[in-house]
Amino acid sequence: MKTLVLGLGNPILRDDSVGLRVAQEVDRLIPANPDIEVGLDYWGGLRLMERMIGFDRAIIIDAICTGASPGTLHLLNPDDIPTQRSASAHDVNLSTALEFGYQAGAHLPPAKDILLIGIEAADVQTFDEALSPEVEDALPAAVEAVMTALSDAGENE
Amino acid sequence: MKRISIDPITRLEGHGKIDIFLTEDGEVANAYLQVPELRGFEQFCVDRPAEDMPNITNRICGVCPEAHHMASSKALDELWHVDPPPTAKKLREMFYSIFFATDHTTHFYALGGPDFVVGPNAHPSERNILGVIKKVGMDIAGKVLKMRHDGHHLIKMIGGRPVHPNWGLPGGVSRGITEEQREEIEALGRDAIEFAKFSLQLFNDVVLGNPDYVSLITGGLFTHETYNMGTVDENNHINFYEGMIRVVGPDGKEFAKYDAKDYQEHIEERVEPWSYLKFPYLKKVGWKGFEDGMDSGVYKATPLSRLNAADGMATPLAQAEYERLFDTLGGKPVNHTLATHWARLVELLYATERWVELATDSEITGEEFRVLPTETPDEGVGSVEAPRGTLTHHYWTDERGILTKVNLIVGTTNNNAAINMSVKKAAQGLITKDVEIKEGLLNTIEMAFRAYDPCMACATHTLPGQMPLEVTLRAPDGEVIEHLAQNLD
Repeated sequence: MKTLVLGLGNPILRDDSVGLRVAQEVDRLIPANPDIEVGLDYWGGLRLMERMIGFDRAIIIDAICTGASPGTLHLLNPDDIPTQRSASAHDVNLSTALEFGYQAGAHLPPAKDILLIGIEAADVQTFDEALSPEVEDALPAAVEAVMTALSDAGENE
Repeated sequence: MKRISIDPITRLEGHGKIDIFLTEDGEVANAYLQVPELRGFEQFCVDRPAEDMPNITNRICGVCPEAHHMASSKALDELWHVDPPPTAKKLREMFYSIFFATDHTTHFYALGGPDFVVGPNAHPSERNILGVIKKVGMDIAGKVLKMRHDGHHLIKMIGGRPVHPNWGLPGGVSRGITEEQREEIEALGRDAIEFAKFSLQLFNDVVLGNPDYVSLITGGLFTHETYNMGTVDENNHINFYEGMIRVVGPDGKEFAKYDAKDYQEHIEERVEPWSYLKFPYLKKVGWKGFEDGMDSGVYKATPLSRLNAADGMATPLAQAEYERLFDTLGGKPVNHTLATHWARLVELLYATERWVELATDSEITGEEFRVLPTETPDEGVGSVEAPRGTLTHHYWTDERGILTKVNLIVGTTNNNAAINMSVKKAAQGLITKDVEIKEGLLNTIEMAFRAYDPCMACATHTLPGQMPLEVTLRAPDGEVIEHLAQNLD
């Protein structure tokens, strides 16, 4: 089962970088495995869907803002993300992008095999390379969540 | 005063929302586009080496990082007083044409197009790229995916990294291309020209073939007579990478033509208490409020503005489409905001033609792609046409090249006043006393700002959670009278 572990975020926009930090740590921890690719990226929507082409399974790590306490982990499936009327000003939402990819016949992980790990952010509007303390403190648990997900699929054996 | 808030926005750090204030009589008093504030960019940059800027500024925007990379690289040329060799300039422009074609494709098919192809009153679950496929056919999905894939593949191949190139340097670029790479770039460029032609044909058949859409485009609801800005070459043809900034008036006549480094003589930035985003205007005309006309310094810098500000296109197929657009819409200048979508496709065709022109240039595989700077850095301005408007980077450094000050005017900022005017006019035309506020009506108002392809936060994504459309009607004391949130689930 070819698995993509992808950290998303902007490295210079404070807590938005948390997904990148988690993915980098996971990359350091797991032994080389041709079936697991760890990557860093920046885009949601169509670009994120296109990045998943060729994989059977994906674990996406990103900052999220839901109003929960900063550092809270959210384990989500693409179907859990509320889909509303309008896409981003520049893109489509992930569910729409995935549907577009499925309809176009792209080899993509089924929605049930896409795990979104969201780490609640405190601040994604200040240019800074450091994380907020509460989000920094959540890094080990977020890394553990990725490792557990990989382990559940027997991928890190 | 009552208030309606349209929040069309997906990502929670947001691109902005529209607030519409109603009078007691239910008429629209005013409309404002609110944008989130990103804090501390200048402080983040100051005290860093200027040569880091092409790799920092391309992180401030999740939509057009390549445009920031290019404006920043050009600012470094000026800062170090070094002129890149012809091969470097051609490589940069070719790279930039590929980016432009990819970006305009995404906007048309994912964002602007659905309003027309599927229809402004279609249910939101249909009014997206999936609705376009349903209406036009499955073939289009593969075409759009291929176009985007090819663009991203070449951007990575030439620029060194996907999305965020690490390629531009003062005096040129860090590497050239091989003959084998050139052949691939040319072949994919020829495919891209066909894709652009197909897209214009689609627009012709679906939009121009529908009298309702044509009257929507040309109706007064979406029309503003302002100044228009764009970058032109020595023949006054559009150029995305370099040239002079040309401004034409609402009467279509040239008002100003200047070197980007002199932008401060021509552009002043105004602050309004209700917005974090500044409002640039033409200094020599002056700020007269959010007004149309020759006496108001409001200007637009959009694909349509670029067509208005130029005398033509530098490539043959795009020139023919340019002429067709103006012939169809009644001559220059065209002031119908929704025609921006058509102009974007004309630019898409130009970008693909220019891509192939440069890929077949005898100097493109040259090995002199950088001149080492030897002068002492002090101050530099770099400017390109970003997909959303003229993009200006201005840096000041000490003699070691350490940044002391940074100023950016990003594409969308140029259009800030015009976007607000467009939203207000559409709202005034559509929301009147006793009119029920329905989804389609709000979408039609949103179309006014969507045509500008606005890039508000220049931020990033955060997990793709979305907020619903929220309409809040408030009594003068702020009490909520009615709250409407339209989830699709």
